[in-house]
Amino acid sequence: MGKLGRRAAALLVAAFAVTGIAACGGGDDNEGGGGGGGGKSGGSIRIGTVGPDSYDPVLMQTVQAFQPLKTAYTGLLAYKDETGKAGNELIPGVAEKLPDVSSDGKTYTFQVRKGLKYSDGTPVKASDFEVGIKRLLKLSGPYSSFLTTIDGATEFQEKGDPEKDIPGIKPDNKTGKIVVNLTVPDSKFQYAVAEPYAAPVPESKIKYSSMTNDPPPGVGPYKIDVVDPSREFVLTRNKYFNIPGIAKGNLDKITGEVSTNVTKMTQDVINGQLDFMTEDPTGDQLPEVKSKYSDRFSLNPYPPNTYYFSLNSSIPPFNNEKAREAVAYAVDSTALQRIFSGRLKPTCSFIPPGTIGYTDDSNKNCPYGDPNGPGQIDKAKQLVKESGTAGQDVTMWTNSKDPRPAIGEYMRDTLNQIGYKAKTKVLNQQVYFDAIGTKSRKAQIHFNDWFMDFPDPSDLFQPLVTGEALTSTPTFNVGFINDKHVNDEVATLSEERDPADKASDWTELDKYLTGPGKAYVVPYGSELTSTFMSERMDYANCNGIHQVFKNDWTLFCLK
Amino acid sequence: MATEPVTDYALEGPAAFELEAEREHVAGLGPSRLALRRLRRNKVALAFGALFLVIVAMCVLAPVWANRVAHTGPNENHLTDKVTVGGETKDVVSPDGVPIGPTWHGRYFLGADENGRDIAVRLLYGGRTSLQIGVAAALITAFLSIIVGLLAGYFRGFTDTVVSRSLDVIWAYPVILLGIALGTALSLGGLHIGPISVGSDSKLIPIIIIGFVYVPYMARPLRGQVLGLREKEFVESARAQGAGSLRIMFTEVLPNLSSTIIVFLPLMIANAILLEAALSFLGAGVQPPTSSWGTLISDGVEKIITGPHLTIAPGVMLVLAVLGLNVFGDGVRDALDPRAKIRLEH
Repeated sequence: MGKLGRRAAALLVAAFAVTGIAACGGGDDNEGGGGGGGGKSGGSIRIGTVGPDSYDPVLMQTVQAFQPLKTAYTGLLAYKDETGKAGNELIPGVAEKLPDVSSDGKTYTFQVRKGLKYSDGTPVKASDFEVGIKRLLKLSGPYSSFLTTIDGATEFQEKGDPEKDIPGIKPDNKTGKIVVNLTVPDSKFQYAVAEPYAAPVPESKIKYSSMTNDPPPGVGPYKIDVVDPSREFVLTRNKYFNIPGIAKGNLDKITGEVSTNVTKMTQDVINGQLDFMTEDPTGDQLPEVKSKYSDRFSLNPYPPNTYYFSLNSSIPPFNNEKAREAVAYAVDSTALQRIFSGRLKPTCSFIPPGTIGYTDDSNKNCPYGDPNGPGQIDKAKQLVKESGTAGQDVTMWTNSKDPRPAIGEYMRDTLNQIGYKAKTKVLNQQVYFDAIGTKSRKAQIHFNDWFMDFPDPSDLFQPLVTGEALTSTPTFNVGFINDKHVNDEVATLSEERDPADKASDWTELDKYLTGPGKAYVVPYGSELTSTFMSERMDYANCNGIHQVFKNDWTLFCLK
Repeated sequence: MATEPVTDYALEGPAAFELEAEREHVAGLGPSRLALRRLRRNKVALAFGALFLVIVAMCVLAPVWANRVAHTGPNENHLTDKVTVGGETKDVVSPDGVPIGPTWHGRYFLGADENGRDIAVRLLYGGRTSLQIGVAAALITAFLSIIVGLLAGYFRGFTDTVVSRSLDVIWAYPVILLGIALGTALSLGGLHIGPISVGSDSKLIPIIIIGFVYVPYMARPLRGQVLGLREKEFVESARAQGAGSLRIMFTEVLPNLSSTIIVFLPLMIANAILLEAALSFLGAGVQPPTSSWGTLISDGVEKIITGPHLTIAPGVMLVLAVLGLNVFGDGVRDALDPRAKIRLEH
C-alpha cells in the first residue's frame, strides 16, 4: 500500500492473513466492527479529503487515492468487501475465479468473466489487462515494480513502446483466457492484480500519458468524474457493474470535497456538512471528537502501517552510516506521539504490527534505546562528530498535511540539536512523494509512511528499500538504497508462496535494515487511524472499516 | 540647486511661500521646519507613530524577552518538557497533543504551539521578520521607483514609452496574485541570476518580490512629477550651463522629489508588511521554521476553534503596526503639504 493510505490490499490466502494478522494483535482503541453494510440503500454523501495525489489509477500512491479509485477500478482479483479479517481475503474480480497456478509458481491462468462492461459501456476484453499493465509500466507508475516479475515487463518498461506486447502476458480475446508467466515465483503477484493500478482498461479509451483530469473508464461499482482535481470529484453508480461477490455500493452518489483544512473538515463532519473524512481529526479537536462523538468515531490499527524517517543514502550527510545512526539515536517517539495526539504506537521495527515478520519481541532490545523512552541526543551528537558531518546543511522534507509539518519541524529541531544546520521544506501532499522520489531533488531526509497493501512484508521492502524499485521515476525508494544483501534477501523471500514460512527471515532483514551499521530507515511508530462519520451515516452497520482500505466506501450507508 | 514647492499646484514661487508662512505665523521658517511644526501639532499622527515605534521596540527587544524572560528561542521545540505555573507543573504539550494555553507568566505567556514553541517569543521574532521585510522591500521599491521615474519622466519619448508600458504590465496584475505566483515559483528553487544565488528559504525572496511588485505604485506618481519639473527654469538654467542629463536628474530634479518620497515611504512600508503577511499566510512568503505575522496567522487558523489566540495575537500586532504607519504617513503627507493629493492608488 503505499503512503498514507494505501489501500491495503486484502490479504490473499486465509493462511497468510489469519496467521499474520492474528499474531500481530489489533489496536487497543475502539476497534470498529459490524460495519459491513446491509444498511439502507440509496442517497448521496459528501466526503472530505485532502484529495488523491492522482486520479489516474496507474499513477496514484496515497490512501486518499486508493479509497475512491478502488470503487471504480476492479482488477482480475479483488478483496472481500467485509469488515474484520474477512476483508483480507482475495476473491475473483474481473476474473471469474481465483487463478490456476502452476506447480513452480510462475504461471497464472485467469478466465475473464463473460459479458462484463466498463462504466462507459465498452465491453471488457482479455487483452485489456495487458493494456492496463502496459500503461503502468510505460508511465513508470509508483507500483510498476510490483509487476516487473512478469516476463518481459522490465524490457517493456525500459523500451516503452506501447505497440509492442509484453511476452509474459498472453490474452485470448476469443476465450477470455489470460496466461501470465513470471520470471520467478512472486508471492505478491496475486495481491498486485487485485489493485486499481493493475485493473484492465479499454485500449481505445486510454493514452500513454497522465489521465488524472479525465480518468479512463473502469469496471467498478462506481464511475469517477473529476470535476476539478484540486477541489472535487464525484462517484456515481456504474449501471453496467454486476460482479457477484463484490459489493455494488449502497449509495447512489459520493462527492469528494478536496481541502487541506482538516480542522474545518472535522468541524463539517461534526455539523453534518460532510458525512465522512478520509483524514484524522487534528490534535486539538481529537479529544472533543473522542469524548462527544464516540458513537460515530473509532480508532483502528488499519491498515497496518509504519511511520519513519527516510534518509537519502546516496548524498551527504546520510551517505555516512554514523550520520544515519545518529538520527536513529536522536529520535524521540514519545515526543512524536504528542504530535499525533496520542495516536502513535512507538516502535523500532520497520515491519508494522499486523504484518508477517512483526513479533511481540520486535520492540524489545531496540538497538537505539527504548522506543517508549526519550531520544539519546548526546550519543547522537557524538556520532555526528565522529562521522565528520557536523555543521553540514540539512533540509528536512515534509508535506503540508497535518501533522506532517509539525513532524518535520520536530526533526529539524532535533537535527540542529545533534549538530547540523537544518531547515525544513514543506510541499503540498499531492506533489510531495513525487518530489522526494526524484533523485535530482537531492532531498536528504524526509517524513515518510507506508500503509500495507497486504501483510506480506515484500509489500513493504520491495518498493521502499530495494534497488529494483529505483527503476521507477519517481521511486518509493526515496532513500535510494541499493544494498546487495537487502536486494538478494527480498528477492529470495518474495518467491515464497507462503510468506509466513519465512517470518523469522523477514524479522532478521528488518533488523539488518534498521540496525547498527545500516540504519537506512528510522521507524518510530505505527498510527491508529480514525473513522469519523456524520450523524446521518449509519455508523453501527455501515462504517466500512476495512483492514485493507481503511474504509471501504461501498459499505457506507445512511440511516 | 534650486528648490521647488512640494506639488505643482500648491505653492508657486517665493511670494506664495511667504504668504503661506505668514498665514502660519512663522515668518522666516523654511519648508522643512514648517512641516515639522505641522506634524508636531498633529497629535493623532504622532500617537500612531509612537505606537508603531513601540511595536518596533518590542520586536527589536525580542532576544531579550526570549533569553531573559521566556528562556527559549523562537524555533526550539519542547514537546516533552514541563513548566511550572502557579506552583503547578504542567506538560508543555500533553500526551494527547494539546499544547499549554496562555500562562500570562514569563514562560509561555501566550501559550505554546503543537511543537511546544513559545507563542509570545515567536510573535516578537515574527514581528522582526515582518518589519525587516516590510522596510527592506519599501526601500527597494523606493530605489527602483526613483530610478525608473527619473528616467521615464526626464528622457520621455521612447524611454518613457518602454518604461511606462512595462509598469502597466506589472500594474495589470493584482498585487497579491503576482506576489503569490512569484513567491511560489521562487520558494521552490530559489533565485539564480548569473553569479547571484538566493536560497529558496531566504528572506531576500519575499523582499525582492514585494519590492518589485510595488514599483508601479510609486514610480508613476514620481514620473508625473519629473515630467513637470524638467520644464522648470532651474533645469533649463542647469542645461544652459552645460550640465549633463544625469547630473541634472540627480542634483536638480531628485531633491525636489524628496517630499514625495518621504510621504510615500511609510505608506509603502505599511503595504509591504501587509503583502508579506498575505504571502506568508499563503505559503509563498517566509518559509518555516522562520516565523512572521503571516505564518503565525496561517498556523493559528487551523486551530482557531480551540486556540483563537494563536491567530488573534499576530493579527492584532499586524493591524496595529499597519494602522500606526498609515496614520503617521497621512500625518507626514499633511505636514509636508496640506493641499497635496498624493495618494497610494490601488
